Amino acid sequence: MKPRRIAELAVLCAVSLIIFIVELQIPNPFPIPGIKLGLANIITVYAVYHYKPYEVVLLVAVRILLASVFSGNFAALVYSFSGSVFCLLGMLLLKRIIDEKHLWLSSVFGAVLHNTGQMAAALVMLQTPSLIVYYPFLIVSGCLAGAFTGLAAQIVSARLKKIIK
Amino acid sequence: MKYKIITLTAVVILLAGIAGSVFVLGSKGGSTVVITQNDRVIREIDLDLAPDETFDVEYGGSKNTIEIKDGKIRVKSAQCPDKTCVHMGWLSSPAMPIVCLPNHLVIKFADNSEDVDALTK
Repeated sequence: MKPRRIAELAVLCAVSLIIFIVELQIPNPFPIPGIKLGLANIITVYAVYHYKPYEVVLLVAVRILLASVFSGNFAALVYSFSGSVFCLLGMLLLKRIIDEKHLWLSSVFGAVLHNTGQMAAALVMLQTPSLIVYYPFLIVSGCLAGAFTGLAAQIVSARLKKIIK
Repeated sequence: MKYKIITLTAVVILLAGIAGSVFVLGSKGGSTVVITQNDRVIREIDLDLAPDETFDVEYGGSKNTIEIKDGKIRVKSAQCPDKTCVHMGWLSSPAMPIVCLPNHLVIKFADNSEDVDALTK
């Protein structure tokens, strides 16, 4: 990997961590774990469409690890990890079908897959089948949050075109 | 054309989610309600049999007034700062317990499904 590439990834990672920490300060009106805007994923969605798959995986892995260090919430690590695996697998495949003009659509699927991964992790970790009642709420929140982060990523992408080519 | 199909898929997923949410919120819990404070069960009430009544639960000098009426239960008034528990209204769904965080109070339908508790019994 060229140093320039590494530097770009590092900057993206730093930006997404800043967004993550700012979002932590916003009170969440929904009491269900797993439901949140996930603004830091604006960067993830952007990276999926502008970097090679292994670069995106690196970026997200570092992001998740550092985010759990900064938030002090190591219990959430398993959930965000499995969520991200689902999300990245899905989005890296969807990237071949959906072009960048429809980034927000791809982001919706990514968000729903992320929530699916979290749900799967929760079911495995807690061994409580009745948790599945939260899944519909997660899907709805995933669709809305995914569309929002996707649209934001489209704007970011248009702006960044002038800086990074 | 391709995007119509993809958009349609996304819309179907969203609608399925909404339908599922409505179903979960609408599904009725049992009739037994448990009131816990600090993970300690303070009262168990069978709403079908309970007479209408109003009583107070206190926590560190701060009171929640709980009302039972026509087989339903709610927090009528509270001395906590945010009053989230009051705004939640009548307890209606097993998925949405009434919670007062400042006073460590939880009102929910008793879990009689095969759950963690069933395993530890």
